[in-house]
Amino acid sequence: MRAPGIRAVGLLSGWGPGVASLPQDAALAARGRAVLAVERPALDPDRFRRSRRECLMGVAAVHAMLEDAGEGPEAIAGERTALLYATVAAYAPSNREFIEARGGSVYFPYTAGAAVPAETAIAFGLTGPYEILVGGAPATMRAIARAAVLLETGACDRALVLAVEVFEECADLFARAPSAFGAPLVEAAACAWLEPGEGLLTFGRRRGRPRDPAARPRLGEMLACEPLAMLGLGRDTGDGGPTRIEGAWRGELARLEWSDSPYRTRPRAA
Amino acid sequence: MSGRRPLPLPERVAVTAAGVVTPIGQDLDTFWSGLLTGADGISLVERFPVADLRVGQGGEIKKLTRAVDWRGVPECRATRLLVSAADDLCAQAGGRLLAVEPERLGIVVGTALGGVEEGEHALAGATRRLGRALYDAPGHALARWLGARGPAVTVSTACASGATALGVGADMLRRGEVDAVVAGGYDILCRFVMRGFDSLRSLTRERVRPFDRRRSGLLLGEAAALVFLERERDAGPQRLGTLLGCGSASDAAHIAAPDPEGRGIERAMRAALAEARVDAGDIEFVSAHGTATPLNDRIEAAALRRVLRARADAVPVNSIKGAFGHTMGAAATLEAIVCLLAGRHGQIPATLGLEERDAACDLDCVQGTPRELRPRISLSTSLGFGGCNAALVIESA
Repeated sequence: MRAPGIRAVGLLSGWGPGVASLPQDAALAARGRAVLAVERPALDPDRFRRSRRECLMGVAAVHAMLEDAGEGPEAIAGERTALLYATVAAYAPSNREFIEARGGSVYFPYTAGAAVPAETAIAFGLTGPYEILVGGAPATMRAIARAAVLLETGACDRALVLAVEVFEECADLFARAPSAFGAPLVEAAACAWLEPGEGLLTFGRRRGRPRDPAARPRLGEMLACEPLAMLGLGRDTGDGGPTRIEGAWRGELARLEWSDSPYRTRPRAA
Repeated sequence: MSGRRPLPLPERVAVTAAGVVTPIGQDLDTFWSGLLTGADGISLVERFPVADLRVGQGGEIKKLTRAVDWRGVPECRATRLLVSAADDLCAQAGGRLLAVEPERLGIVVGTALGGVEEGEHALAGATRRLGRALYDAPGHALARWLGARGPAVTVSTACASGATALGVGADMLRRGEVDAVVAGGYDILCRFVMRGFDSLRSLTRERVRPFDRRRSGLLLGEAAALVFLERERDAGPQRLGTLLGCGSASDAAHIAAPDPEGRGIERAMRAALAEARVDAGDIEFVSAHGTATPLNDRIEAAALRRVLRARADAVPVNSIKGAFGHTMGAAATLEAIVCLLAGRHGQIPATLGLEERDAACDLDCVQGTPRELRPRISLSTSLGFGGCNAALVIESA
């Protein structure tokens, strides 16, 4: 399939804002902490009075992406922008609160897996194609591949691939399944702005574990956010050439490979 | 200028079999005959306490009756519904499913709730069930049961999930990632969701009446529905039909309520028609979302009129939610199956509960008795929490 080009990446994580905040060695930098949390983003308290932290993280990731692109929200509003969202468990805190009867009726809609992308779509007026995938890094990589198809077929002019993971409210639950997750658990929200790019994109998967977990030691466990953080890292530290990323979840190893630099978008018509 | 270009004609994807488990039937034939005969799958929920809820009725499956070997299948009800539907699918597919190389068989399931009931059990003390609470756990359990080693994908576009899953599955086939896909949706009735919808006062104390002027809300149901997708050139002559197009769109309007103008579902319908290369004038039947909430049915009817234009008065529309409630993640797949079966059998089931059509739902709603008609090209619409909208265009064999 024709490769999408990455116009911008927004990232906030338990390490801080942006790719620059990522440590060289996550395990060392965590200093024994099991979870590195992201504070509730300070967005308009009136507009987002009912919003949950994970929803605000999604909105903040898009703001960071717009800042990275040097654009305002009007550049992405409307039906020609697709929104594809991936997560393993951003819904877990809201589900837990509702089960434990700590959330009232007005909060029930926020238990849906769609709550984070819904808040993001509302905040930026994104009314184009809309998909939500549940799973770790392979789900996000599949979302990028789906975005490539939507761009190639002209179903949209740009696609935002958004991922959010939160752990703090369910840290005790995640701690009961240490073999399922890496450490430290690093909360994150990341969004990539994709447009038609150059060259080809290959998406493949097989059963297995990553052969080259090179970026993992820098990120910690970010689950669905990992591929987007890796693309951000690749742009800031790579040589601008072909890029390959891998990610695994539940025994599935996925691979995305750009034949050309993924950070080059096709010039737009005047 | 947006630089829009004509959509390339996508490779056609055949639906060669379907399998279901629903409150009115635990195989495809019983489900279909139940819809035609007006079977009522609504009852008082018995599997968990509902006495404290405003509404305790729903489309509950009282007992899973398929003769499945449950060894190795988790106790998780969502997984068991999926496996029951897959067992029916295997029977309907007549060996085609088993002939696919495991590495080339993909699974795509849609759900609004995943294994959330396992989370309820885990937080109540059954901590070993915690790992099944993630929304993608039942889909992976289904893949294991089927012996599939291809991609196992879970989508969660709320109550549009069962349509999104079919679109994602078709995309896998078109890109050559797999040779066949088991795609569909599921969701169960559990306290979590009953309590949630009850607190929103979306549930009716009366019967579910899609498009009726007395409609007063929805009831929830549980079900699983799966279809077997293959590239048309690989599929044999035995097939239910073809998935021509899938479209989606976000409302960007409200966290729970649909856009009052229905612009999102309208965009999704137009996108599905564009992908299918089908004109709205070619649509012969609409299997509607039709939840029977005052807002949904009015919005959906208005959006359908805008899309179907002059044909709106001539296209029969039905909703199956009167028969067994809103089955959330399963609903859109069930409605796609209804499109396929209507074309196969030449009958469109009536909308159970519809007696006096609301003037604000000015459509040719099928009521009373099934309509004798063999639709070739049908449209199915789905709306969900979070402004999720999806539509499918389906051609019957």
